[in-house]
Amino acid sequence: MPGKIIEIDTVCHTFADGYKGLKNISLSISKGEFIILAGKNGSGKTTFLRHLNGLLLPDSGKIMVNNKNVSNNLVRTRKTIGMVFQDADAQIVGDTVFDEVAFGLENLKFKRAKINKKVSLILEYLNLFHLRERNPSTLSGGEKRKIAIAGILVMDPEVILFDEPFSNLDYQGTIQVLKTIIDLNRSGHTIIIATHDIETMICEATRIIIMEDGVIKKDGKPHDIVKHLESHGVKEPCSSRFGLGLQPWLP
Amino acid sequence: MNNSKQLKMTVYTSLFVAFIAIGAFIAIPIGPVPIVLQNMFVLLAAIILGPLWGLACVGIYLLIGLAGLPVFAGGTSGIGKLFGPTGGYLLGYLPCVFVTAGISKALGKKLSTDIIAMVIGSLIVYGAGVPWLKVVTSMTFEKAVAVGMYPFLIGDALKIIAAAFIAKTLRPVINL
Amino acid sequence: MASLTPFSFRAGKSALHLLDVRCKFFIICLISMTMLKASLPAGFLYFLILMFLFKKAGLNIFSTLNSIKYFIVLLFFVFAARAFSMKGDMLFSFYGMSITKQGVNEGLLVAFKFFLVMLTGIIFSATTKPSCVKSAVQWFFKPVPFVPEKRLAIMISLSIGFMPVIALQARLISDAGKARCADLEKNPVKKIIHLVLPLLKKTFLSADNLVLAMESRCYSDDRTDPEFTPSGKEILFLAAGFVIALSFIYF
Ligand SMILES: Nc1ncnc2c1ncn2[C@@H]1O[C@H](COP(=O)(O)OP(=O)(O)OP(=O)(O)O)[C@@H](O)[C@H]1O
Ligand SMILES: [Mg+2]
Repeated sequence: MPGKIIEIDTVCHTFADGYKGLKNISLSISKGEFIILAGKNGSGKTTFLRHLNGLLLPDSGKIMVNNKNVSNNLVRTRKTIGMVFQDADAQIVGDTVFDEVAFGLENLKFKRAKINKKVSLILEYLNLFHLRERNPSTLSGGEKRKIAIAGILVMDPEVILFDEPFSNLDYQGTIQVLKTIIDLNRSGHTIIIATHDIETMICEATRIIIMEDGVIKKDGKPHDIVKHLESHGVKEPCSSRFGLGLQPWLP
Repeated sequence: MNNSKQLKMTVYTSLFVAFIAIGAFIAIPIGPVPIVLQNMFVLLAAIILGPLWGLACVGIYLLIGLAGLPVFAGGTSGIGKLFGPTGGYLLGYLPCVFVTAGISKALGKKLSTDIIAMVIGSLIVYGAGVPWLKVVTSMTFEKAVAVGMYPFLIGDALKIIAAAFIAKTLRPVINL
Repeated sequence: MASLTPFSFRAGKSALHLLDVRCKFFIICLISMTMLKASLPAGFLYFLILMFLFKKAGLNIFSTLNSIKYFIVLLFFVFAARAFSMKGDMLFSFYGMSITKQGVNEGLLVAFKFFLVMLTGIIFSATTKPSCVKSAVQWFFKPVPFVPEKRLAIMISLSIGFMPVIALQARLISDAGKARCADLEKNPVKKIIHLVLPLLKKTFLSADNLVLAMESRCYSDDRTDPEFTPSGKEILFLAAGFVIALSFIYF
């Protein structure tokens, strides 16, 4: 039984305009899980992910990461849980790929020599090293997404959150990013992916959580959940619909 | 929380630096002379960011131009431009942004008072730019005004009115 | 943005490219300041040196001149204003305006000096990466009180990053406007608002996302300092810079 890494206890969040973004969310997440957080537009996926990273704080209830309360341990939480944002362009800080990936380590005041070493390692691991001098905003969508992943990975997180990692990607870009995510999961990272299109990774997932209106409607193994998807506004994968069970999307 | 707000201002100010830089290259065709939007973004930076962040904004713009990044009009950069014939207008943005922001803030950020603040700010830019132009090119004062101020006044009036409306709609969206 | 910035950085391996950016920056300032006192022969000598450096750095002088043609026109006005307005020995006159010998000399010299300063600036921006400019600015501002130099450096790289995004968005918005016959709009104020307001709204929204992305990567003002890599030729270039500056002052 692997240890629990995230424990969420009756969390509610109300926005400034009175809209209830999350309503009484409780669940726990173990090390090494690969979770798909599904739900239609506006169901609260992004709001939920931002809570795990301490970008939004709960009004009531609490979130524990490695037995520490997120609200009182923001930096520690953000080191443990990295987040790749929906809009790849809006998260670029550096003017070269290398600087971009180094940003988090600079914030943590790592020594320069250490930073250079870690960034080079990660860039090589993700096959991005040849791009290190390039301006990130001139790269392809898939490369940008991978650089965003590199910028998170360099901080050695245990959990990585992805918000719509495949939006605006073409087929090639999707394959690139999906392979990277699967590799990360195999090397021991806990993965949580928010999406409304689950077809691409349902085979890799160990668990699917369906959200609707800020509430968790279903939570379980892909096989058990897959037939309930459409009643909550999420498209059922074709293979399942045609009675072929769950087929891997990757060629 | 305070930290969060400061980071927000840091990013917004950087965004306005970029707008001021790009504004030198965005021209809207109105009548025979296209109007360039740079000074409008300086005024907007003033009434949206406030005196201190506004001043930082223009300061950083001038600094990166001075340091050799190609952000001045005509794609030219560096000391040559800043101390060249049109350098006075650029340096005039500094007092302009501070005074405009100060007046706008003091008078309560209303549509009408913002317009007053921006008119005064624009005059400050000419107050710096025209004498500078005169000295560098040794024109007469009348000529410097005729070349370096009159042709732009109508465009400025339009930009100021537009900026006032833009600020009015933008403020609630970005709620500072 | 590429079309907007003719002198942005060109990658290369010349001595100027490799020179420590702080040293390069210092020499540029030194030369530009002392240029005010330069005589024509000294200026011409410096012009030859510049041409040599242009060639070494792999820059084409003709395309450079072409891209600053508006500035050159402006210089012509500077020259003409001097030539007409100086008192002295008359060269020739028409319509009651007279050109004097002193005026021509003086005008030529002033225009030539502006031209040299401009070329100096160009060679600097063409051989210096924006990220190095940012680091140099941070280094020079370190001893200056009341200026948070690290935040300054971040703001410089953020604004450099925003520029191409804004340029692209402006083009998209203007095209979208054209598709809906915005050209028929006669009211100039509305014309401005229709371009600028969506531009600001869009970019501020992505700026909000950037704030979150920076927070989630533990942004702090107290960060690792940038590193500088001297090429070993700094002393040589500094000495040359001083010689040129002195020759401007004393000849
Ligand atoms: N700052 C805010 N203020 C008020 N309401 C908000 C705010 N942010 C989000 N909401 C609302 O909360 C709800 C959930 O938003 P959220 O972004 O979490 O949805 P999502 O599941 O990520 O949707 P999408 O698939 O479109 O990304 C939406 O109805 C949205 O309008
Ligand atoms: Mg979302």
